[in-house]
Amino acid sequence: MNIHAYEKLWLVAAMLLIVGFIATITYGSVALGITMVGDQQDTVEPTELADDDRFDDPRVEQVGENEYEAYVVAQTFSFQPNPIEVPEDSDVTFYVTSRDVIHSFSLVGTNVNTMVIPGEVAEMTVEFDDPAEYGVVCNEYCGPGHHDMEGEVHVVSEDEFDLTELEADGPDEVETGDEISVDVTTENRQLEAIETTITLEIGDETLTEDVTIEGGETLETTFTVDSATLGEGDHDWTVTVDDHTDSGTVTVADDLEDDGGDDDE
Amino acid sequence: MSNAYIDQFPAEAKVIRAAFYSSFFALALGGVFGIIQTLHRTGYYRFIDSADYYTVLTAHGVFLVISFTIFFLVGIFTWAITTSLDRGVEDLRFTWGWYGLMAVGITLTGVAILAGFTDATDISASVLFTFYAPLQAHPLFYLGLVLFVVGTWFAGVDWFRSWWAWKAENPDERIPLPAFMVLTTMLMWYIATLGVAAAILLFLLPWSLGLIESVNPLLTRTLFWFFGHPVVYFWLMPAYMMWYVLLPKISGGKLFSDPLARVVFVLFLILSVPTGIHHQYLDPGIAEGFKFIAMTNTMFLLLPSLLTAFTVVASMEHGARQRGGEGYLGWLKALPWRDPVFAGMALAGLMFAAAGFSGMINAGMNINYLVHNTFWVVGHFHLTVGTAVALTFMAVTYWFLPQVTGKQLWSRSVALGQVVLWFVGMTFMSNAMHRGGLLGIPRRTAEPQYDGFEFEAAVGSVAELDAQIALGGVLLTLSLVLFFANVVGTALNGRSDDLPDNSYAGTLSGPEDAPQILDNLKLWTAIAVVLVIFAYTFPLLSIIDRGGLFGPELVELPLSTLDLESISALALAVEQSTIATLETTADTATAVIAGVIP
Repeated sequence: MNIHAYEKLWLVAAMLLIVGFIATITYGSVALGITMVGDQQDTVEPTELADDDRFDDPRVEQVGENEYEAYVVAQTFSFQPNPIEVPEDSDVTFYVTSRDVIHSFSLVGTNVNTMVIPGEVAEMTVEFDDPAEYGVVCNEYCGPGHHDMEGEVHVVSEDEFDLTELEADGPDEVETGDEISVDVTTENRQLEAIETTITLEIGDETLTEDVTIEGGETLETTFTVDSATLGEGDHDWTVTVDDHTDSGTVTVADDLEDDGGDDDE
Repeated sequence: MSNAYIDQFPAEAKVIRAAFYSSFFALALGGVFGIIQTLHRTGYYRFIDSADYYTVLTAHGVFLVISFTIFFLVGIFTWAITTSLDRGVEDLRFTWGWYGLMAVGITLTGVAILAGFTDATDISASVLFTFYAPLQAHPLFYLGLVLFVVGTWFAGVDWFRSWWAWKAENPDERIPLPAFMVLTTMLMWYIATLGVAAAILLFLLPWSLGLIESVNPLLTRTLFWFFGHPVVYFWLMPAYMMWYVLLPKISGGKLFSDPLARVVFVLFLILSVPTGIHHQYLDPGIAEGFKFIAMTNTMFLLLPSLLTAFTVVASMEHGARQRGGEGYLGWLKALPWRDPVFAGMALAGLMFAAAGFSGMINAGMNINYLVHNTFWVVGHFHLTVGTAVALTFMAVTYWFLPQVTGKQLWSRSVALGQVVLWFVGMTFMSNAMHRGGLLGIPRRTAEPQYDGFEFEAAVGSVAELDAQIALGGVLLTLSLVLFFANVVGTALNGRSDDLPDNSYAGTLSGPEDAPQILDNLKLWTAIAVVLVIFAYTFPLLSIIDRGGLFGPELVELPLSTLDLESISALALAVEQSTIATLETTADTATAVIAGVIP
């Protein structure tokens, strides 16, 4: 075969270019540890996510000192949870699946980008450094509301970040003179203990309790207020732990016709 | 008396005309939908509801990359076979038969898509060109695609029959280069379309008809990309053929090397299909190793394109020197830049070089994460299929139209303005799309404007990018208007006796320099099949093993009639006239078929 000398030269240069490309990418995978979304995760049943341990409650979990796992569900046309909050200087592994059609989970302007396919779970680990807010888009067409499908990832400072869950429960009505008790459940889903203050504000009263909650523990506290000091009428109350609040309203009346009403807020 | 194609092969010229007009009709429709979505997406002019944007997008994609490109290429492939083998088709009825099948198929698909604009029927297919399950289109959509593809299969059979007949009469001759290119491209196409045929016939069509409960979305998606990547070479190979066999002649010279042209087409036959998984780098459920294999194959596909760049430029230089060009770069001035056929192809080639660079980024397995499904990708394929292919097709139309109609081109100046306008418009549009993609702006969305965050441009602004895209879209639309003016103007011209001869470029280094083995199509096909088996068997088995052949229970999303209040009168008018015209086309085709059957 008759090949012109220049063309031979070009051919060699082209081959070098190609081999060079493959080499750099191989280097990125092997030496720098850039992993691809692959088949690491088992499949799930898209219609039974409510019964799936990982996806029944989309959330962020702490699994190591600076290591977190985020379980994310994409569906027409939203992401859960939203926003996803993680701390600075952390390694976060996202597990993303779909409840219905094919979506994507893509942090705008970054290379955090994966397809989300029903039945499959995409896994990718991301290092977050400084606090920042990222937009999340679905970049795979998923139906007529596709352009409304968005979310956010908030990388917050160490101080602001927690995985605390607060739930407070008080009576709807009490008779003047009876005690009002507000039950507070505080769960610390982080691995480390937190020291914090639980505050109840009701009427002009403010009650506080300093607590330490061990990692993974749930603390039950009850605040008690004498209804007589509040007087007759509706009184709003708020329980605060760090940034988390829960609130309710209690009615204080002179004579109640029935005795119920203390079972839920 | 001239010796144009229509004088040599009047009956075949008629088929090619029909294929070209079908192609141009699709181009017109695709163009209308293109400008609607450009203005909608950039926010300059919105008259459709955003939910209907996806119907517009489906129509834009399917009409342009399926109907426009493929109808055009069956036309030039028919020209290439008949001209280079110097014999008419073996059976004209068969030729009209496959054309008719393609026309009927795409009409069904088109009707299913366009019906998405009206609530008069439940039919809809706003599933985009990729039709990923669990998005579900009306069965007509899938059925039409099947008929269309089967039509192209028969077209291939037609061309192989010509070759076999020719070979029987010329047992010791080398396959003429244009015929060689057609045959290798069709072999690649047969292998590639097995994927989409399996996806539709085994899964999507029965599913849309309710015969099976569910599908495995990853499986149908993988089968789509089995076809979805090589289909881009199905568009590109005819453009390459034009660069190899027509461009050197128009430049005033000869093709630099026939053997390397054959090598290039053999490489495309071998490597086009086992690369599809590079569209799925981000898919969960496919192991990294399979992605790596696809990437390696993809990177080696750069080779035939780089070889083409060399051969095409060398051929142009040879032409320029025949015309008196001198110097290291001075010869460029001697090229026939005022000839729209040359200017269009040269500009298309230049854009393809740029597209090659963005393509290398896309192919990089881990860099791809930054750009996957962003606007960058849209910029990339508007350079490849949208310019390298489309602009080449439009440019060569100015050479082919006189050949197959027997009429002089209406206006060469308008033609020259048209190709330049396309180049300028696409420069604005695709550049801005690439940049937008780097900011993370997604593709395929009606409104890349979100509540919770904004896209931040390091240089310029999103508004500036939108302005460039809208400007580009308007220029491209104007360019299309000029193109159609020329097509119609030429059709209205009278028969001319003063047409250039039907011929293609000679070669500096001819087939006698090419090893005989290059013409061994069985060998190359066998290697291609082995590579496909190697690249796809394990991924497919693994996907089936993981998700099941028919997948998990799914929440399907039939895209039947959506929010219809906001559909404008224009969209309805477009749709109704389109259906009417499509029907007329089908009727004409049927009439023509009836006419040629004795």
